[in-house]
Amino acid sequence: MDAVFEFLFKFRPLVFEQGEFAFAAPTSFRLWLGVLGIAGASAVATYTIARGRSTVADRGVMAGIRVALLTVLVFCLMQPVLVLSTVVPQQNFVGILVDDSRSMGLENRDGSVRSDFVAEAFTPEESELLESLSERFVLRFFRFSGGAGRIDGLGELGFDGTGTDIGGALDLAREELAGVPLSGLILVSDGADTENRPLTESLVPLQAAGVPVFTVGVGDEVIEPDIELGRVELPRTVLEGSTLMVDLVVTQNGFGQRSVPLVVEDESRILAEETVELGPDGEPVVARVAFQLEDAGSRRVDFSIPTQAGERVDRNNRRSAWVEVRGASDKILFFEGEPRYEVKFIRRAVWDDENLQVVLLQRTAESKFLRLSVSDSTELQFGFPTTREELYQYRGMILGSVEASFFTHDQLQMIADFASERGGGLLFLGGQSAFAEGGWAGTPVEEVMPVVLGEAASSPRGYFNEVKAEPTPAGLAHPTVQLDASLDSVGERWERLPPVTLVNRLVEIKPGATTLLRGVHVDGTSPDQILLAFQRYGRGKAIALTTQDSWLWQMHADVPLEDQSHEALWQQMLRWLVDGVPDPVTVSTDQERVEPGESVRLVANVSDSTFIEVNDASVTATVVSPTGQVDELPIQWTVERDGEYAVELRPAEYGDYEIEVAAEREGVPLGSARIYLHAAESDEEYYDSARRTFLLRRVAEETGGRFYTPETVGALPEDITVSGAGVTLVEEHDLWDMPAIFLLVLLLMGAEWGYRRIRGMV
Amino acid sequence: MEGGRRGSDPARARTVGYTAGTDPEERPPAGTNPPRRRRKEFRRVIPNPVRMRRLSCAGLVSVCVLCAVAITACEDTGPGDARAGAPSDASDAGPAGPELMAQEAPPAVGRPVTGGGMGPRMDPDETPGRWPFYWTRAVYSGGRGWYGRGGAWATDYPKGDRQFLIVLKRLVRLDAYDWENAVHLADPDLRRFPIIYGVEVGNMRLTEEEVEGLRGYLEAGGFMIVDDFWGSREWAIFEWNMKRVFPDRPIVELDLSHELFSTFYDIEELKQVPNIRNARWGYRTHERDGFTPHVRGITDEEGRLMVVINWNTDLGDAWEWAEDPGYPLEYSTFAYELGANMIVYGLTR
Repeated sequence: MDAVFEFLFKFRPLVFEQGEFAFAAPTSFRLWLGVLGIAGASAVATYTIARGRSTVADRGVMAGIRVALLTVLVFCLMQPVLVLSTVVPQQNFVGILVDDSRSMGLENRDGSVRSDFVAEAFTPEESELLESLSERFVLRFFRFSGGAGRIDGLGELGFDGTGTDIGGALDLAREELAGVPLSGLILVSDGADTENRPLTESLVPLQAAGVPVFTVGVGDEVIEPDIELGRVELPRTVLEGSTLMVDLVVTQNGFGQRSVPLVVEDESRILAEETVELGPDGEPVVARVAFQLEDAGSRRVDFSIPTQAGERVDRNNRRSAWVEVRGASDKILFFEGEPRYEVKFIRRAVWDDENLQVVLLQRTAESKFLRLSVSDSTELQFGFPTTREELYQYRGMILGSVEASFFTHDQLQMIADFASERGGGLLFLGGQSAFAEGGWAGTPVEEVMPVVLGEAASSPRGYFNEVKAEPTPAGLAHPTVQLDASLDSVGERWERLPPVTLVNRLVEIKPGATTLLRGVHVDGTSPDQILLAFQRYGRGKAIALTTQDSWLWQMHADVPLEDQSHEALWQQMLRWLVDGVPDPVTVSTDQERVEPGESVRLVANVSDSTFIEVNDASVTATVVSPTGQVDELPIQWTVERDGEYAVELRPAEYGDYEIEVAAEREGVPLGSARIYLHAAESDEEYYDSARRTFLLRRVAEETGGRFYTPETVGALPEDITVSGAGVTLVEEHDLWDMPAIFLLVLLLMGAEWGYRRIRGMV
Repeated sequence: MEGGRRGSDPARARTVGYTAGTDPEERPPAGTNPPRRRRKEFRRVIPNPVRMRRLSCAGLVSVCVLCAVAITACEDTGPGDARAGAPSDASDAGPAGPELMAQEAPPAVGRPVTGGGMGPRMDPDETPGRWPFYWTRAVYSGGRGWYGRGGAWATDYPKGDRQFLIVLKRLVRLDAYDWENAVHLADPDLRRFPIIYGVEVGNMRLTEEEVEGLRGYLEAGGFMIVDDFWGSREWAIFEWNMKRVFPDRPIVELDLSHELFSTFYDIEELKQVPNIRNARWGYRTHERDGFTPHVRGITDEEGRLMVVINWNTDLGDAWEWAEDPGYPLEYSTFAYELGANMIVYGLTR
């Protein structure tokens, strides 16, 4: 299309875009307009005066054609020109940035490799493109993958980079060439950027400097046939024995409507296996898989789909994630205002769970408390905690049927802070003294509850209803609602469980909260109730289980003795309650997997036992390498945030690094935390590795450049020449001699003759 | 994990045994009746020092025999005992035989509607769950109730239940239904009441449906308190029935160090609680050869009590007659303390 345009108009569209249109005739535009008017009027008058067999319409058509012809003539006499700024040869620089990552080694559909283009297009003395560029510009070469750098020649490329950072490469080239006249940058890549940072940050400075980026996209836009597993998100730490439910996006081309197995395994055994029904060709599907993690320690979990016959890229069929399985026993405070069966059956449900310590504090009479599962005789000896230090030793708290007036205002505020500041999990149970019926409306704790408290029942037994539990779509995707059933039988499992009773009317959740179970009334008349809902609150979470007798799911005659639904529900719910609850000292890295030699930022957050951030702590990281080498690194306060300490690490070996961070203040230990860093080869380059034309086109268009493919790249040198960037000369190019004008004149003359022939006037 | 708590682990508890001195292999299989001849064995294997002294004093033999006959004739006629007026089949005829049991129609499955003429019962339309706690009496086959109505289960019913609830709610912060509630062991609704109270279990003769119902109830997490049965013969009957429920679970003796005795009140001495008549008379506290009170239990695999057995004592009478000026405060106090402990234990373990 460009060639046709160039034939008709002498120049390609890009040249017209870059140039300015003008008339070079010395006389004024008005004079030529007057000449055209006179000539036109004469022509019209001639046709009007003439008589013969012609009608008025015929004369009008012919007069119009003649006027158009005169207009073209006058246009040519006005000497139209295209004013262009063209670069001065050898006075300007062009930076050539070549993608050096592993994805450039992928094969194209025709059997060639992506990097072949680089070899063909930029080999000295063989490449027309390179020759043409060299004639016009001074060339500077850069390589980029995860990082970027200047190179002297393309022979230095190895195409083994473990990432692609286009933004970083553009930044580096711009900075390196900042002091020279720069006509543009040429970016040769498949566009498979693996960095998450926004590209706009790199494009805006280029726009400001007027440096166009000309992008050359290599590789196939669609890799077919191929199956790819999407990114896996797992919590970094979980309690031993916890069930995890993971959604994976399976993308495929060329394997539509097939079934493929999805296998989840750790280093030693298969954890789960699911069959994934692939959708129509090209459409991704979400596969859900649930599995349990046993044995404390650092675990690598692999998700994989076996390589299918004919698949072009098989390294994107596997995803790995690391999880630290904690073997600790997390303490949960269960405060119950009266003896009732929920206590007994909740304790029984988690009795076998070695990772949960449910400490019961039950008011058995006025000012008389029963303590069970306490760590020592002094724990909770004065009843409900009165200090934050005492309360914050727990990671979760269950509030049973107890009226709000039992607590002092400070204690109520402390309970709210337990979730928002300490980051603990709060679970509210239904009961005669819970929610609105317990006078919780208007207290600081009401904010924490994920449900909206309505008006309290007017009498102690004013509201009572039996409901069947029904999972919501969000509930079906949640491990707590999963029970121990297979994924496709969860709904049926809940359907079999007997109804439970409610004495608190709760039909609405707070904005941002999520309902996992709704209570469908047995009589079918009342609106559905909220049975299980949760919301994030501050650093922690709040859950509401509004029934007063979930023990019926264990005890009821309709529930077989071998049914473990009640145990599974409570174990998973309490694990979820304490999942992700922070310690006074926490540590994290910005990446969980790095290549040896790459740097990673280690961040520690330090608080005291009341979870107030500490800025004057002495924080040390003890790093144990895979070969056992021990290094101690002091970590400094970042100043940017209270309690935040950070240091850069650069692993040198392959394997797992164990990092233990310990903090102390004035010789008093504040706590410690451990994390694992995995130094391993990255497969990131093989995911989403098809050519991303959209991204490359965006880079070009936002900077004033143009996107090319290997087939169209021949026009690149000339396009840079007229880009207007760098040291330029202004040139005027005549347009009156465009073939298009000649053809137009011929067309108009032929049109008049043809019209006369049709109308019998010749 | 599945099924892990359901199996048995006899090694966890100190076994008292199903009738000392007898080989478990000789026990009747589940579903059969205990043979009558065993009465002698019971007397032989449970030492009775008082009786032994009487036998050794030849000069007092005739007097003692006459007194014993007189006492035996009237000991079960107290106003608070459901056996009053009932044929003395349980106390005199030895373990119930198949002939006698065949004449007794077991209660219909479901909640009994009448309460032996003793006032209102739980409203049949009352939905379980409206109240967090129902003091529930186990209805089972065997024996005869007050004035021949109901079975042995109806002893002290319903006054004892109401009295107990009134005082219990005063002592323990319990949101309890105010009235009695009796549920048959074979009734599926039994599972809605995780604590049940069985009385006069020395006369029980469980049907197969009741055995199945009780086993399922206890294995699902139910808690049973039994009370008011005396002497070796009634123990044997109860033990035989429980053997049918749990062939592999031993009955263990609970000493005062068990958490049952400190879960609400600290109980430091185990008292023998007499029935109302003996308490008023003040002559003795025991009945038949039940001279020493025992608290025994059946536990699950984790050591938690499923059944608490109050043998050779009558807590129910103490609860029922606590307001009677003639009933000693010492016994009623102890009975309520132990009752509160059992309730709190059953609600938390």
